Order: sequence, then C-alpha cells, then structure tokens
Amino acid sequence: MTIMIKSRSRLVMIFLIPIVTIVSLFMVFSEEIGAQQEEKTFVTNSGVIVTTTGEVLDPLYASATVEFDPMEYLRDFNYGRISQLDDGTTLREFTIIANDDKIMEVSPGIFYNVWTFNGTVPGPTIRATEGDIVRIKFINNGEKEHTMHFHGIHPAEMDGVFEPVGGNGGQFVYEFEAGPAGVHPYHCHVMPLEEHIVRGLYGVFIVDPKEERPPADEMVMVLNGLDTDFDTENNFYAANTIPFYYQRNPIQINADELIRVYVVNMVEFDPINNLHLHGNLYKYYPTGTDLVPSFYTDMITLSQTERGIMEFEYKYTGKYLFHAHKVEFSEKGWVGIFMVNENKDNKESEEYGT
Amino acid sequence: MELSNKSSKIKLIVSGIIPFLFLIILMVYIFGPGSELLDLGVPLPEITMERIDFINSEIQVTVRNTGPIPVEIAMADINDRIQPAAVEPDRYLQRYETALVRIPFEWNESEPYRVGITIGDGVRFEKEVEAAAFALEPTFDLMIFFAIIGTYVGIIPVMIGLLWLPFIKRISKQKYHFFLALTAGLLLFLGIDSVEEALEVSKESLADSFNGVLLIATVLMTSFLGLYFLGEKLVNRAKSSRITKPVAIALMISIGIGLHNFGEGLAIGAAVGLGSIAFSTFLIVGFALHNTTEGIAIASPMSREKRVIGKLAVMGMIAGAPAIFGAWVGGFVYSPFTSVVFLSIGAGAIFQVIITILKWIREEGDKNLSSGAVASGFVVGMIIMYLTSILI
Repeated sequence: MTIMIKSRSRLVMIFLIPIVTIVSLFMVFSEEIGAQQEEKTFVTNSGVIVTTTGEVLDPLYASATVEFDPMEYLRDFNYGRISQLDDGTTLREFTIIANDDKIMEVSPGIFYNVWTFNGTVPGPTIRATEGDIVRIKFINNGEKEHTMHFHGIHPAEMDGVFEPVGGNGGQFVYEFEAGPAGVHPYHCHVMPLEEHIVRGLYGVFIVDPKEERPPADEMVMVLNGLDTDFDTENNFYAANTIPFYYQRNPIQINADELIRVYVVNMVEFDPINNLHLHGNLYKYYPTGTDLVPSFYTDMITLSQTERGIMEFEYKYTGKYLFHAHKVEFSEKGWVGIFMVNENKDNKESEEYGT
Repeated sequence: MELSNKSSKIKLIVSGIIPFLFLIILMVYIFGPGSELLDLGVPLPEITMERIDFINSEIQVTVRNTGPIPVEIAMADINDRIQPAAVEPDRYLQRYETALVRIPFEWNESEPYRVGITIGDGVRFEKEVEAAAFALEPTFDLMIFFAIIGTYVGIIPVMIGLLWLPFIKRISKQKYHFFLALTAGLLLFLGIDSVEEALEVSKESLADSFNGVLLIATVLMTSFLGLYFLGEKLVNRAKSSRITKPVAIALMISIGIGLHNFGEGLAIGAAVGLGSIAFSTFLIVGFALHNTTEGIAIASPMSREKRVIGKLAVMGMIAGAPAIFGAWVGGFVYSPFTSVVFLSIGAGAIFQVIITILKWIREEGDKNLSSGAVASGFVVGMIIMYLTSILI
C-alpha cells in the first residue's frame, strides 16, 4: 500500500515539476515577453489602418531605402564628353561598363541578381543631337558575354549582335552617327536574349532634333518588369525599376508648365503594357520621330521596346495618378503620382492671359 | 565479487558510449566550424502555408519554414496582386518555425482565392483555397453542432449496426464465420481508406520535409504493434478474468473503429472548416451509412455471449463517440500534421483488429481460414464497403 502511494506521488511530481518551471519562467521573463508586443500600424490598399504586434510587409510604406534612386534617374541625362571633330561635327564619348553579379534590393526585403550597364537598371540615359557622332567605349566586366545594341540607324558592324564582347574585361567601341531624332532603347543582344534583357541590360537613347524641342520639364520613364522567381512571369512591374516608388515619392511638377516624358516599354513576357494619365490628356509622338503629335489621349498601348514622347501641362494643382491600365501591372508596382504644385513664377499662365 | 561486478558494469556502459563519441567527432568534422567538406550545392529555401483562415476583412496565413535554411518573409499577395500585410511575431523564420501573415483584404464568401507569399530571394509560394468561408470560432453553439453531427455519424449508425446481433445469434456456425470474415473485410477496407486519406492530406498540405509517406508508415506500424501487444495482453487476461475472449476481441474492435471514426470526424470538421459545406453534408450521409456496417463488426464476435446489452452500448460509445472529438479537432484546431498522425493511428488500429479477428476465426473453426464461408464473407465485406463508399 505504501509503495503504491509513493509511486503515485512520484508520478505527480513528474508532471508538477515542468509545469512549475514553465510558469515561473513566464513570471520571471514576463517583461521581455510583454516588450515584444509593441504595436505598429500600416494602411491597406483600401485605406484601412491596421495594427500589428509583428512586422509590416509593405512594398509601399516600409522605410527601407533602395539602392537605386528612381527620382535621380528620372531627370538624369548623359550628354557624354563633348569635343569637336575636324569637320565641326560634335563627338560625344561615353564609357559603359556591363556587369552581371550585382544583388540589388528591388523591393523592401526582396533581393534579386540584376545585370547592369554602369551599375543601374535601367542603364544611363544617353543623349545626343541628330547628326552627332556617338562613341561608346564598352567594357564587359561580367562573367558572361554582353553587347550593346542600339535601335536607330547605324552600320551593321555597330549593331551589337554578331560581335559578342567577352566577359572579365572584354572591350568594344561602338561608333555611329546619332539618328533619327526620337527616343530609342538600347540593350544587350546576346543569346538567350530574353534573359539578357529581363535581367536589366537596357537603357534609353534620346536623339534630339537639330532644331530643339520647346523647353520643358523633361523626364525618362522606362516601363519594366522583374521576374524574381524565374518562371517567365513578372513578379513586379514598375516605371524605372522600383515598384511603387513614385507612389511613395510623388514626382513634383508645376502647374501650367510643359512636361515632356520619354517613355520606353521594356517589359518582357507580357505582350503589352500601357500608360494612363489621370486628370489630363497628353500629346503623343510615337517613337518621337515626328514633330507633329499623332494622338491626343490619356491612354497608349505599348508593345516590347515600343516607345514615344508624351507632352502635357496640368491646369489644376494636386495629386494625379499615372499607371498601367492593365491593372494587374499597377497592382504589382507600375503606379505613380504626379504632385502638381502651384507654379510660383506663373510665367506661362501670364503668357496665356495676354 | 561486488567490485568486479561494478567494473564490468562500467565497461558495459563505456562500450555502449564509445561509438557515440566517434559519431559526434564525425559530425563535428563534417558540419563543425571551418569545415568545407560539404560546402557544395545551393540549399533551396522552402515554406509551406499550413492554414489559411478567412476572418473579418482579413486573410490569415500560417507559414512554416520547411526548407533547410532560414528564410525571410518579404511580401504577401492575394490572387497574384501585391497587398500590404503584417507578419507576426516577425519576418525571420528559422527551420520549422512558423509565423502568422495577416493580409487585410475584403474577400467574398465562397469565392476561390490564391494566396502568395514571396520570400527574400524573390521566390513566390502559392496556395489556393477553393471557397473562402469564415474561419470557425470555437463557440458553444458550434461545439454542440459538431457534437450532434458526430452523434449522427458515429454513435447512432454504430448502434443501429449492433441491432443485427439477434440475427447473427440465430445462425449456424458456418454463417457465423461468414459474418466474422465479413467484419474483417469491412475493416480491411476502412484501413486502406484511412491510409489513402492520410496520403492525400500529406500530399496536399504537408511539407515534403515531413516525409509524409514515411511518417504514415512509422505511425501506422507503431500503432499496429502497440495495440497488438496490448490486445494480446487483454485477450490473455480474458482467460483468467470475468470478461470472455469474444468480449475482449469486440472491445479491441471497438477501440480500433473508434480511432478510425476519430479520423472521420476530423475529415468532417475540416470540410466544414474549409467551407465546403455541400461536400460535408455528403460526407455526413455517406459516413452514417458506412458506419452502420461497423456495428456489425462489433456485434459479430459478441453473438455467442449472453447478457450483452450493457457491454454493447459501452462498445458502441467507444467506437462512435470519437467522431465527435474528431469533428471538434478538425473544425477548430486543424493541422495537416495531426490529421496525418491520427489517420495513421486509426489505420494501424484497424489492421491490428483484422489480425485479431482472423486469428480468432482460425482458432474457433478447425484451424482453417480457407473455408468458403470465410472467403466469401471477406469479399462481401469489402464489396459492401465499396458500394457504400461511393455515396461519400
């Protein structure tokens, strides 16, 4: 009988000891456990404020800073090192370095191996005037072969297709006369081509007409996509690479000032992309080759490497969206805001008044 | 004498430990710091979405890191459209760690949704829900509801099946053997059914890293051998105590069926929880018809006993009531891992019961399992089960 009682009490002890230990641990460390319950808030797509004790996953509101600055890229035009040839033609020299080992945080918390011209996606915007000689010293510091293939008019051996430039320091000099006037893409043309483009080896080549376009607040938008899981479907879309960037950081423009946007569609996998502007319409010059606009619209459809120039002025101040009206793309990052501010010098509006 | 005894004991312990020491040294050599031997290949991250709950204006996903390396949860989407979300307690998941991703979303009832989670290297994982439905809250009403369903599915049909007892009592030994074999056939069908169900759940919702098939095999064998051992003890003790061998066997059968019915309850609870209500009414009708035959399985060995009503009622409860608990578990705290484990335990229990019955038939009737009555009973049992299973 006594043995029974002893073994039973031992059994009770076996259960009791861990329970007491766990409870006492909670008592002792309750402050630490409580400290983690700090609440954070975020705003949903439909404007609801949600609180959480954990972390916020939000491509739009997270405070992470991106390596590539789309705001800087937007208005950054590279005119090259300028000199005059004997016959008086302008020579513009550029150095472009290709790389394929860069890991970039493309959206908060998401890291992707981009292939770059001069370290960024898109590569630098190259700008020349029609008739200038463009000389590009191309250095391939990547592991794979790369080239630069420009859209435009140039000799066959400058086409960047049949002269692959070897990796680890291979070099090539592309030289041609800039033309025709308009906006053109340039990109790597090594097989497998889709991969070399999608990974980020592209940029914009602007050829200004000999007679300058009217002054304007000019900007470049490359519409692109990122296939971060390599399933030949884009996980993100954007204007200038970083999803939702211009929604978080609206582009500041002035009312009654001419805005000129050079748009180039570099999205792969999806056959079309498009661009819709809110509260306004724009004059559209396909490929920018003609000085007379073809459309006055708020919606253009763009196939691969299709591009053009948009010109518009805002009458009213405030926030205006611009985005793909293929809404899937805008819900995956291809959406932005123009913040139209009051025009302080009011020059243009005065002109209109007189 | 005592001294040498002690030293030989120490020798024994040391000889048992030495291989372990070498094993530890090997592990340290291969995996330890500074080792580059196995530094090849790229480990691929993997996550599994174990549960998706739809609550007021929010979709909640329970994510487990089921890959070989830590992962960072970076983004959530619904139907492949990016949504702001929250992850609790934090976005960094060690191996097998779980986190709750809360995605605010105005979802519509009974529509399909694909939930996507993207991790730090840009890889997106997706899980589809066929029809969104409010997550079940463990309210008192719902508990009663599940208890009633469990009663309809488990207890009542088994009790109805037991009513065949007077009929089985009056028949000849040959026919009696036919019914015992029929029981074995019914049970074999149920056992295979449980294994199939477990395989299905593990394939659909369990991460590869749990080794679903081997998990099922291990749990099934453990359950089978454990109950086999206990069953033998019970039957042996029956010889020396008040309960007779047939009663012991019937008890084992009802325990086995009870474990199986727990699995059925899980399936029903989970189906209601996952919003496939129409599917679950079918399940309920089907299981009810199906389970009537389980009553026969318990009644058959008891038919040579006297004064059995009380015992039968208890056994009916043992066999049927677990359906209620199963429905509670399946509806309120469903997890694929526990489902697979319970289904495998049920399957192991059933296979054990089959062995017990066959053994008993062999002892009862002239050490022979190949009589026409036994063979035909077995086949008819499986056919009955197959036909009733079509209803589910």
